[in-house]
Amino acid sequence: MKHVWLIPLVVAAGMGLSVEAGLLGPLGEEVGHAWAVVGIFALGSLLLTFGLIFGRPRLALMFSQPRWLLTGGVLGPVYVAALTIATPFVGVGLTMVGILFGQVAASLVIDHFGWLGSARREVDGYRVAALVAILVALWLIH
Amino acid sequence: MLIFMIVLVVASGAILCAQSAINGRLGSHVGVLESAWLTFTLGAMLSLLYAFLFEPQHALTLFTAPRWQVTGAFFGVVYMLVIVFAMPRVGTAAATVSVISGQLLMSLLIDNFGWLNNPVIRLSGARYAAMILLAIALFLIYRSNARQGAQAMALNGESNEHPHLKQS
Repeated sequence: MKHVWLIPLVVAAGMGLSVEAGLLGPLGEEVGHAWAVVGIFALGSLLLTFGLIFGRPRLALMFSQPRWLLTGGVLGPVYVAALTIATPFVGVGLTMVGILFGQVAASLVIDHFGWLGSARREVDGYRVAALVAILVALWLIH
Repeated sequence: MLIFMIVLVVASGAILCAQSAINGRLGSHVGVLESAWLTFTLGAMLSLLYAFLFEPQHALTLFTAPRWQVTGAFFGVVYMLVIVFAMPRVGTAAATVSVISGQLLMSLLIDNFGWLNNPVIRLSGARYAAMILLAIALFLIYRSNARQGAQAMALNGESNEHPHLKQS
């Protein structure tokens, strides 16, 4: 694997995501959770629009892609909606465990079959062991 | 009902993972910045529609809340750029487990020190054990990637990198 150096970078990005969640929670209490989400997306969109204007945007190329490749932005709000519906029924702890389990299981399946244009990486003993280790870690935390 | 809700939660986790995979794929076609821009712009449009139509009034608005509370967006943008860049290169599983490890590591730190006005929850033996297990999981997935990469190279003299990345 040539890109080992990317893994600490992704771990750091995940740490940033937790900081974002830590900021988003209290903000949501004050202005309403939907507006907090609007603030995050709108600021992010503005920043990246700056980046595009001063970069060399290939927007024409983007809008000539098959439409399913553009659905990534729609799935985020679907995820938020599902959380909003389910959390009152199952509690925050179980919700977090469920999401993380769904993420890891889906990532193994997507890699295994090479779905969504991913390179195929089969489920092997190492990956099953990793899944078990994550499940035990989640159980220990919650 | 409970079972249905749990299925819904697990499915939404899977959706999150699929979103990253789709964005990574789009990014390798049209560029990292473009893919992240599309995600944030669509997200802003949809959440604005929802908030405008359904969210009840609050005493504070986005414009009267303390400014530093809105700075979370910067972390979100950096995350999106990193994940779009990394996903096609390291694979869905390695990227997902890395993100989760980072999230849990940071949330344990935030809990332990009570940063960002959160209540203090000290690190316990169970939490240390959980961190070690996550590191082990990451290592295992890395081993799996390395092994399958070596196999693919032995089979056809090619790495198992994303086909579209070779052109650039």
